[in-house]
Amino acid sequence: MKNERMIVEQNKSIAAKTHEMTLSGPLVAHLAQPGTFLHVAVPGDDLVLRRPISIAAVDRDAGTCTIVYKEEGEGTKRLSRCRAGDGVDVFGPLGKQGFPAEQPSPGDDVLIIGGGVGVPPLYFAARELAKRGVSVSVILGFQTAAAIFYERAFRELSGCEVRVMTNDGSNGHAGTVIDALNERPSPPDWLFACGPRGMLRAVETHGAHSKTNGYVSLEERMGCGIGVCFACVCETGDRASYRKICRDGPVFRFKEVVI
Amino acid sequence: MEVDPRLKVTLPGLTMKNPIMPASGCFAFGREYAELFDLSELGAVGIKGTTGDARFGNPTPRVAETPSGMLNAIGLQNPGAQAVRDEELPFLEGYDVPVLANVSGSTPEEYVHVVETLTDAPNVGAFELNISCPNVKEGGIHFGTAPGEAASLTEAVKAVSTKPVYVKLSPNVTDVTAIALAVEAAGADGLSLINTLVGMRIDAKTGKPVLANEKGGLSGPAVKPVALRMIHDIRQVTGLPIIGMGGIQSAEDVVEFLFAGADAVAVGTANFSNPFVCPTIIRELPAWLDQLGMESIGAFREQGVNI
Repeated sequence: MKNERMIVEQNKSIAAKTHEMTLSGPLVAHLAQPGTFLHVAVPGDDLVLRRPISIAAVDRDAGTCTIVYKEEGEGTKRLSRCRAGDGVDVFGPLGKQGFPAEQPSPGDDVLIIGGGVGVPPLYFAARELAKRGVSVSVILGFQTAAAIFYERAFRELSGCEVRVMTNDGSNGHAGTVIDALNERPSPPDWLFACGPRGMLRAVETHGAHSKTNGYVSLEERMGCGIGVCFACVCETGDRASYRKICRDGPVFRFKEVVI
Repeated sequence: MEVDPRLKVTLPGLTMKNPIMPASGCFAFGREYAELFDLSELGAVGIKGTTGDARFGNPTPRVAETPSGMLNAIGLQNPGAQAVRDEELPFLEGYDVPVLANVSGSTPEEYVHVVETLTDAPNVGAFELNISCPNVKEGGIHFGTAPGEAASLTEAVKAVSTKPVYVKLSPNVTDVTAIALAVEAAGADGLSLINTLVGMRIDAKTGKPVLANEKGGLSGPAVKPVALRMIHDIRQVTGLPIIGMGGIQSAEDVVEFLFAGADAVAVGTANFSNPFVCPTIIRELPAWLDQLGMESIGAFREQGVNI
């Protein structure tokens, strides 16, 4: 975990209310695991909580990382106004458990399911898998055509097959990621998912199979981001204990926690 | 970090290298922050509110941001007194720092049980009775809003404690000095204040409360003026040691609290904005003493500086 002022290299809109920010700084050298996240301080002293934002890509050669965030409130609106050359206070990487992109072998059936702003950490995972020669099937779900991002970026990865679903049918196939999941002929060996809680619940219900190693990344309103404030807890699958999403996750195995 | 002797503060049960401690609930039991800096740098550590048995707390979402502050409704999630005694306090024994053990409960018997369980822990320097948590339906704040209830709880705890007892006061009262005087008469060794102010946020798109618990405790810079006013008011009526807290983010804020009448301070929400805020403030305090011509932190009290 490092805390430093990273430099904004680029900050641009890539879809409806969705922005991509590229940051540089020594902290990049510590970013390795897809699914872990950065805790970003919002410009201005009046917003006291940092924003947890997942890492979409890391370019060690260039010394940069890319984060994608949705403009939902005042904090993310201020982030969207940052320009190249600005400094942003970043703390991270946070989270002890990410997507195990180092585990699937070439030849394994790997399925990635991303919904909306849950897509970015999966792109990081897909890049790592592609680097290791592992082919990936990707299902991306968005509300509407204007919200779609990273479709082309996934397609450009070697061995990556992409299917896009939109709820309103305005692009790709009409329907949900679950419709696409259910059309698959056999369960995958590995399933990585990130998106809205309802989608993840459905992915676990429809995607759980004895041969499938399933992982979901959870999001929750956070305070500290490091496990001290107990804001972002969830119950374990047996409902006997709890996990902290920021510290113990944010990625959990299927059934490890109650989604 | 080199220890500046001018920063030393000695309070009942707490010999502190400096007047800075993380506030209860904002530091868990220290393990996570120990990965970031040496906990021995701190004046003391305020540990998470501990109850008789383990508590899971409230449903999520448990936090919401507000202008210059935040609301929380964690609901006293903690592993219970025995687990804190056996598993958490021994970890902190590895550091040269006294512990202010925050105690909560639903009944006087529960408070007494927690204090009995923790009182012989070698690194617990003192207790902080949380009679002001707004986030649990039973008990908690109830004890902190009625002078009689607060006094009898203080007496019951003092009867079993081998360590000094600070009472953490609620700002959600009409006259905070009445509660302070009641617990002083009941034997409190010190006071800490303020706990959070009860507040609420509503999602304008849905009309529903943002917090699952509906209401929560407001903290952060937004509450600092309230904290300063209450510490000032209490300092006019009692000489009891005061640990001040409420929106402290900087060494300048600490100085304001010392001027208001606090002997030491606790830093809460600011740990979330800046995980290194406590060591940063500790490093910056000597320059403030120089600038103000103060010989030590204790000089604020000794010289009778007041407003």
